[in-house]
Amino acid sequence: MGWESWIVDTLRRALAYGTPLLWGTLGEIYAERSGVVNLGVEGMMILGALAAFAVAQSTGNPWIGILAAAVVGGLSALIHAFFSITLRANQYVSGLALTIFGLGLSGLLGTSWVGISLKNPLPKASIPGLKEIPILGPALFRDHSYLTYIGLFLAAVLWFVLYKTRWGIAIRSVGESPATADAMGINVFAVRYLCVIFGGVLAGVAGGFLSVEYRPSWTEGMTAGMGWIVIALTIFAAWDPLQAVGGVVLFGALYHLAYRLQRWFPPEFLKLMPYAFAILVLAVAGLRKVRRGAPAALGLPYVRGQR
Amino acid sequence: MRKLVLLLGIVLLMGLVALGAEKIKAGFIYVGPIGDYGWTHAHDLARRIVDEKFDWLETVYVESVPEGQEGAIIDRLVAQGCNVIFTTSFGFMDGTLEAAMRYPDIIFAHCSGFKRYNNMATYMADFYQVYYLNGLMAGALTKTGKVGYVAAHPIPELKRHINAFTLGVREVNPDAEVHVRWIYSWYDPAAAKEATEALIAEGCDVFAFTEDSPTVVQVAAENGLPSFAHYSPMLKFAPDYVVSGQLVHWEKIYEDFLVKVHEGLYTTENLAHVDYWWTLPQGAVELGADFGVAINPAWEDELKAYVVDHPIFGKISVYELVMIRHSQFGDPGITFDPFQGPVYDRKGVLRIPKGTWPSYETLVTMQWAVEGVVGPWPGEPEE
Repeated sequence: MGWESWIVDTLRRALAYGTPLLWGTLGEIYAERSGVVNLGVEGMMILGALAAFAVAQSTGNPWIGILAAAVVGGLSALIHAFFSITLRANQYVSGLALTIFGLGLSGLLGTSWVGISLKNPLPKASIPGLKEIPILGPALFRDHSYLTYIGLFLAAVLWFVLYKTRWGIAIRSVGESPATADAMGINVFAVRYLCVIFGGVLAGVAGGFLSVEYRPSWTEGMTAGMGWIVIALTIFAAWDPLQAVGGVVLFGALYHLAYRLQRWFPPEFLKLMPYAFAILVLAVAGLRKVRRGAPAALGLPYVRGQR
Repeated sequence: MRKLVLLLGIVLLMGLVALGAEKIKAGFIYVGPIGDYGWTHAHDLARRIVDEKFDWLETVYVESVPEGQEGAIIDRLVAQGCNVIFTTSFGFMDGTLEAAMRYPDIIFAHCSGFKRYNNMATYMADFYQVYYLNGLMAGALTKTGKVGYVAAHPIPELKRHINAFTLGVREVNPDAEVHVRWIYSWYDPAAAKEATEALIAEGCDVFAFTEDSPTVVQVAAENGLPSFAHYSPMLKFAPDYVVSGQLVHWEKIYEDFLVKVHEGLYTTENLAHVDYWWTLPQGAVELGADFGVAINPAWEDELKAYVVDHPIFGKISVYELVMIRHSQFGDPGITFDPFQGPVYDRKGVLRIPKGTWPSYETLVTMQWAVEGVVGPWPGEPEE
């Protein structure tokens, strides 16, 4: 088996496994850029997964399922937005509550969908032309989910919006210094609401991907901790949509290699490798005093007239 | 007259008391969610079956109980009036034992463990015979000579199953290998998927697994490859690709146990030696990917066409071989065991001498790997 096939396989799996992580991370980056930590990603993802599966199975159309996941993700994020922005509750507690709520509610509502195979999963596609490039073609542009391509494109768009547009300036300034932004005439509450809901929409789609593409079926708790990896990747990517792509591919590659390399390395070590690597990078970045780009007002509720 | 009414009343009252004593309220403690479509799902299915079957039985359950917290849950169930409590995870063993000592008037039964007490029994429905039968079929179906196996945790239960499976594979395909990948989780669909993909990349073309979701079956089918289901009926997840598998009938054990409690055969005094180790003869497990379908008809022809020169049966198709072995297992006076000696481990050590069968202890403490197993094997004994 040549080295080319190792690279192709690893990149392919990194992207496939990484797709839900990418969608989730892009959403969480926007929420946190506006100053709101949402630890409810796991809960929003699992609600999205159930919604997508139930709707896709009922309508026979996986795309309507994904749409439902987006709506449900957005609505569940609205709960967090209301508590943490309007009521100024502790963001961490509110987010954790959303995760617990989502896992519980989806388990309760999902009982009748357990053990059913989705009749019409999301299709895969290849990109003409690009798929012919040696190594990179089969790795990145052949037989991936539409959501994988859209996710990569979305990362570029969201990077552009964040750094090159007035909207991006508004979001970033709300996250850095809400009082200043407020004084400049930016509606802090509206920006935060929109960012949190947008984050929920993307987390919902991430969950939907799991239940209508990655593993087309519904089982309770099927996100199995992916929401927490999203939180870690958000920090790992330094709140930057393009770095998120890099982080996701790296994490996904290590995750896949953990199973590929089991013949030669102890499986216990390989299993923790992706996580250990993430911690290592954070530690090194911290030591080098690189500004990691954490929004200054992250986690702080905004009260008008107070600093 | 008034005396008569009084007497009648007393008799009626005593009757009621007697009836009340015969009522059983059974509490079930699960480690996972009942919607996992695996281990816990199967236990809960069985609970519902026995609950409906007997008027004298009432059941309650608590799901997703982390190992280590079973003690507090048992306290709650006792307070709710449960007089029989089932704990269904290996990790609940010590907590159940402590509770059995704390509540000498309650009957306990712990699944998959080995510690018993006056009022605490153990029970298990084991698959090793069925895994062996699946192995025979997998050995016939692999073209590359590499069979993939996605496994949850490196514990004796799984090692026994992988070994039995591998013995089956090699009986009909002596050069074939079983490649094992550990995911260190009973339930992690993403890990199961990536482990399967890794095995496919290495050239495996038939799959079996021990994990609580239909992921392996789905991924194999996506790639056009056959697989063997585990635990729950998974035929519908890939009707063209699932060949067979293992199914469980926990209700057989629950029914037997609860009836014996109800009839007064099992009490809080005599459970120290009650250990259910039920397999094919007792009907606690079944061969197949769906109830009543031992082998997917879509694969029958291929299995019938694969003929081996068997040391005992001579020229025989794998299909026939599976049927013969299956009926041998179904016989209460079983005449064959997958681990019939001589069995060597992959380091060349003779583990089960020629002509003997493994003892129950050997089976439940198995740490070694048989020849043909490829991949890491945490806890593998030195020579």
